[in-house]
Amino acid sequence: MAKQTQPRANLLQGTLDMLILRTLLHGPGHGHEIGKHIQRTTNDFLQMQHGSLYPALHRLEERGWINAKWETAPDRNREFKYYRLTDKGKKQLVVEESQWKQMAEAVARVMWPTSEEI
Amino acid sequence: MRWWQIRKRDAELQRELQLAIELEEEELRENGMSAEEAHYVARREFGNTTLIREQTHEAWGSAFFERLLQDARYALRQLWRSPGFSIVAMLTLALGIGATTAIFTLVYDVMLRPLPFAQPDRLVTMEEKVAEWSNINPTFPVSANHFAFWQQHSSSFDSMSLMQQWAMPLGGSGRPLQIEALMATPGIFSVLQVQPAQGRGFTVEEAQTGQGHVAVLTYALWRKQFDGDPNILGKTILLDGFPYKIIGVMPQSFHMPSVQTLDNLGSSNQHVPIGILLPLVFSKGRLAEVMGDLNYFGLARLKPGVSTAAANDELNALQQRISASLPASEKAALSATITPFQVKLVGDNRKPLMILLAAVAGLLLVGCVNITNLLLSRAISQKRRFAVAAALGASRAEMVRMAIRETAMLTVLGGGLGVLLAAGLVPSMQRYLPPALNFRESLHLDWAGVGCALLLAVLATLAAGATPAFIVSNTAPQEILHSDSRLTSESSRSYGARRILIAVEAGVSVVLVLTTGLLITSVAKLMKVDSGFTTERTMTATVNLPAESYRDDQHRAAFYRELLVRMNGLAGVEHAAFTSVLPLAGGGWGAMARVTGDSRPDPQLPLESVRAVSPQYFPAIGLRTISGTIFGEGHWEKNLALVSEKTAKTLWPGKDPLGRQFNLGDPATEKPFTVVGVVADARTVSLEKPDDMVIYVPYWYRSEPMGGLVVRTHQDPSEMAEVIRQAIWGVDPGVPVPTVRALGGLVADSVANRRFEMDLLLLFAVSALFLAGLGIYGVLTYSVSQRYREMGLRLALGAQRASLYGLVLRDGLVPVAIGAAAGVAVAFAWARMVRGLLFQVSPYDPVLSAGAVGVLLLVGAMACLLPARRAAGVEPMQALRTE
Repeated sequence: MAKQTQPRANLLQGTLDMLILRTLLHGPGHGHEIGKHIQRTTNDFLQMQHGSLYPALHRLEERGWINAKWETAPDRNREFKYYRLTDKGKKQLVVEESQWKQMAEAVARVMWPTSEEI
Repeated sequence: MRWWQIRKRDAELQRELQLAIELEEEELRENGMSAEEAHYVARREFGNTTLIREQTHEAWGSAFFERLLQDARYALRQLWRSPGFSIVAMLTLALGIGATTAIFTLVYDVMLRPLPFAQPDRLVTMEEKVAEWSNINPTFPVSANHFAFWQQHSSSFDSMSLMQQWAMPLGGSGRPLQIEALMATPGIFSVLQVQPAQGRGFTVEEAQTGQGHVAVLTYALWRKQFDGDPNILGKTILLDGFPYKIIGVMPQSFHMPSVQTLDNLGSSNQHVPIGILLPLVFSKGRLAEVMGDLNYFGLARLKPGVSTAAANDELNALQQRISASLPASEKAALSATITPFQVKLVGDNRKPLMILLAAVAGLLLVGCVNITNLLLSRAISQKRRFAVAAALGASRAEMVRMAIRETAMLTVLGGGLGVLLAAGLVPSMQRYLPPALNFRESLHLDWAGVGCALLLAVLATLAAGATPAFIVSNTAPQEILHSDSRLTSESSRSYGARRILIAVEAGVSVVLVLTTGLLITSVAKLMKVDSGFTTERTMTATVNLPAESYRDDQHRAAFYRELLVRMNGLAGVEHAAFTSVLPLAGGGWGAMARVTGDSRPDPQLPLESVRAVSPQYFPAIGLRTISGTIFGEGHWEKNLALVSEKTAKTLWPGKDPLGRQFNLGDPATEKPFTVVGVVADARTVSLEKPDDMVIYVPYWYRSEPMGGLVVRTHQDPSEMAEVIRQAIWGVDPGVPVPTVRALGGLVADSVANRRFEMDLLLLFAVSALFLAGLGIYGVLTYSVSQRYREMGLRLALGAQRASLYGLVLRDGLVPVAIGAAAGVAVAFAWARMVRGLLFQVSPYDPVLSAGAVGVLLLVGAMACLLPARRAAGVEPMQALRTE
């Protein structure tokens, strides 16, 4: 299968939470949608492990950052469990985003130092 | 997340995951995959749904409970599979935890439960000390005179009160009811911080002579005797023959302990709760007595923040001022002592209770050790299972959890049964509460007790489960999995652990057996001690003459004279006699005998207890006269006396006491007593020690309202009870007869507490011995079965069967002997604790100590015998062939 030859990355601990929160900023979605969205947006670079996704969703729900409701999908005649970002979740997203930025900048400074820092 | 919602939530999660798989499958089909392939690929891609579910459960935070439930279910299944082991272990734990909880509840109720009054820690009792009389009594109740001085000059107390308790006849015509009355100064209500629920308490005016005929009922008496009459206030009742106006009813929550003072020792029935409160009135004469009348129970409430020590210092300073102002004729060195009320009530009961608690805890320890042993054997027989688990990567923590969950389940079940057992036992222990403390509502298992059981269960789990868990968690998998299990014998570590366990069991059991032996010997000696009086065919009765119709000594003496004439005339009566105090029911009143010619101040005269008796008293209880004669009815109104040997030797050392004279009261106003006889010393106050000095005076000299009758019969005395009652009511039907009992019963009652302690200890000791024997048997049986091949090999190599016997016996008895020796050492170390409870036996008694060790060795040998026989009965061929 072609997929297996593609490069894959393991998510850093904690980043999955941020990605889920960011995804839900567009609007509510069910687990499968969220997973597919992350996978597609990264051009399949980030492979969605269900074993991480569902525990993460439930963890976020437990913390009150997202809430969930069984609703009928607009295009299908079936009920899905839709996750929605809460106000608390929005604030958390801001926090995580800034943390991630700091982290990325810090890593970048070590890996690709600018001339005066050498 | 509530853990009971797990199922519902898990079902939702399953649905969620299922939908995701279906969506994936649909997408794959849309991308052109065949239906069948899409089905498999979607599932393969998705992964292990069970694992995902478990991982999600962790996110819920419910994993803990889930794991707990799973552990519980697993443990139950394991226990179900070996019912014999489970039942033995569970019952052992139930017994240990139940008994300990029951005793703890008793101890808690007596020593720790706060008294039912507001801020009970501020309540203190006050007692006086007189240096000159300290040989007779270390402390005395309070005198009215001193109390008045304290009340005026002390600043450490919010309030203080004196009280006295008397049994009194309630009601007028025919067979009145006997009730306990608490007479108290008006301060009692502020000392106890409790007011009547209806009406009011006494005022200071009502505590003046002539004003005191008011009464406050307790709730129980109001309900029982007056049917809860709502219009009770203002009604008049007859108490002691006198009219009293009811001015109040105490709240239902009011429970007052019995306040015994020297004066009424034996004259009140401590098992009957206080029914009525009356003002305690002091006459001018009483208040003027500077050095006498030490008769009242003193209770006070400390000011907030004032310590007992500070109050003590203040009171002692006041006592010194009183001492300094005493007239020369009554010079005495006074001091005082203050004790927290609760401590005072607990009194001497602390030690026996602590010993019982320690004993029952020892029993529980032996039980735990046994269970450890059983668990150890199980752990070892399951070591392959644990080795497999370890090899598959189970963490050490996991292994410990696996090992301990069975123990935990056992203690939960055992503890639950134990709580039920305790709940059943506790109410039956009520009657063993010390009378002074048996004033609250009925004893029952409460949260303190259940908490204790819970704590014990946790401790038991740790104690019994720790060793097996440790051994299991140290499993070396490759070693065990490589070896054939039948060939390996027990590891030396677990073998060592078992021997230590046996030694612990033996040690604890020896302490219990030895302590029990000491107490049994004490009780046996106490029952056999020469009391100086006899109890055969002898009945006793108490009577209580109403004060209204029997105002003074003359009236009372006349009643008794009439009664004794009638009773001595009855068929079947050998001797009928009056005594102011029945044997073993108290000491009588104290007085200082002044030998004619002695002019020392009062407090320096020797203090004797004085008893008023009728002439028949001595033959009725078989009390021997050594010399002289007994006064007779013919000497009516003459002041004659008999003295005990000790009194004679003290008052007239080296001289013949017969014919000598002394005074009990003021020589200026009272005719002196002439000694007509000497009575042998006896043990009529307590079997435990010989009586101090006793003086016997005729009942026509003094008769208290409360008196005793002793009747020696020719026939079965039990039939006499009704005859005695009828004889009394034949003289006056208005006289209450509170008790009629055999004299032997009084003697038995006086050792009842010791017996109770002894019985319980005996029970604990026998249980501990049984458990220890079981433990030793279990360990040896196991070890023999493990060494089956070794035994066969020994026999094949020419060992004698007898030497195999010896081998096993030695194996079992060496740790028993070591443990027993250690146990004796422990018992000697806590001898100080036990000494106070012993009678004529040393806590280091060599015979009993050796006996206790002997009993343990005997039990050990018996426990070893069966396993030893099995070892000696091994067939070498068979043993070596078994692979």
